[in-house]
Amino acid sequence: MTHYSVTVTSLSWLTRNTFEIRFNRPAGFEYRPGQKITFEDGGITRDYTLLGPEHRSELAVCVRHVAGGRFSPKLAAAQPGDRYRIGAAHGYFFFKSTDRRAVFVATGTGIAPFVAFARQGVRNFDLLHGVHTETQLYYADELAAAARRYMPCLGDFPDSPRWPLSFDGRVDGCLAQHLAPGAYDFYLCGRNEMIRDVTAFVDQRFKGGRVFTEAFF
Amino acid sequence: MKIYTQTGDKGKTGLLSGERVFKSHVRIRAYGEADELNAAVGALAATLSGGQDQIKMQLVRVQSDLFQAGAWLSATPGDETLQRLTPLGQEQWRRLEGWIDHFNDQLPELRTFILPGGSPAAAWAHMARTICRRVERVVVELAHTQAGQPLPDNGLADILIYLNRLSDYFFVLARHLNHSAGVSEAAWKG
Repeated sequence: MTHYSVTVTSLSWLTRNTFEIRFNRPAGFEYRPGQKITFEDGGITRDYTLLGPEHRSELAVCVRHVAGGRFSPKLAAAQPGDRYRIGAAHGYFFFKSTDRRAVFVATGTGIAPFVAFARQGVRNFDLLHGVHTETQLYYADELAAAARRYMPCLGDFPDSPRWPLSFDGRVDGCLAQHLAPGAYDFYLCGRNEMIRDVTAFVDQRFKGGRVFTEAFF
Repeated sequence: MKIYTQTGDKGKTGLLSGERVFKSHVRIRAYGEADELNAAVGALAATLSGGQDQIKMQLVRVQSDLFQAGAWLSATPGDETLQRLTPLGQEQWRRLEGWIDHFNDQLPELRTFILPGGSPAAAWAHMARTICRRVERVVVELAHTQAGQPLPDNGLADILIYLNRLSDYFFVLARHLNHSAGVSEAAWKG
């Protein structure tokens, strides 16, 4: 298996417990938007989806800092110049252009592949992002500009003119309210419970719909 | 990491190409049977002892080929995913033919039907042979459902050749395993 050594170039916090970390892009490293990389560190392996080619010379991932976790705290404390070992990009969660409308559904940092898709040039999609607070709407402006409809979903969300399509509730409730009958390709990335519930909803309401999933537990 | 997704609790599952289909769908049966065959190959390998490393390596190769076939079977023709998968090809079935010829050259000529069985390893090789034939039948059924479709699945034809050869491989392997263990083959007496 091919491995690469990457060097940290910068790190910025998106919220109190989520950060984006960037690395130099090693020579020969290729990937397709939506694919992920595996970090290997002292017997620990962790997968993160690449954010996309904002700068061709860099790789970036979005990481939720898990207090007491075995890897994310170490990554959160990384300094420019620190080196990590990664595997080749892998996975099949990439955008497929069809005549169906694409519906992207994310929870939390599951937004990463959709950032990659948008930076790839994908447009005219519906995007639902389930989060706890408005501050967790990572990359919101960039995604709202690319989407046909950008719909933040959260339970405790103040009405805001900034997000006219915000939904007070879970992503499956938002789909039920805003998605007209039709043929869709659904792309789901995030917590397993969301994927379970949205897939059940698609099976029930959108027979013939295609579902692509990337779950983290 | 949890391995249960709970998305299939009502009898449906997702193809690699995204469609949600019932688990009784012919495509699901095709790669499900291939998975069963792969497990049987693993069971066969587990019966082998030291000194049979060459056969063990062959079986690992076969298991890898079956994964490759299963991935191909899990996407519908025309799907973009297939462009990133490698279909089974001539290299794989030619390799099987080489192994078949190698074993067969060392075996006495067969003049009657033999009952499947013998040593534990040979019995598992016969199990693998019959499961392989079942996989083949389902892939034929799948190919028939694809007939006349606008997007032909050329990979299926290659998989069928491979399965046909693989079944023959398990047959001669079973005979080889019995002979090398000193176990007599039981002839069918009618």
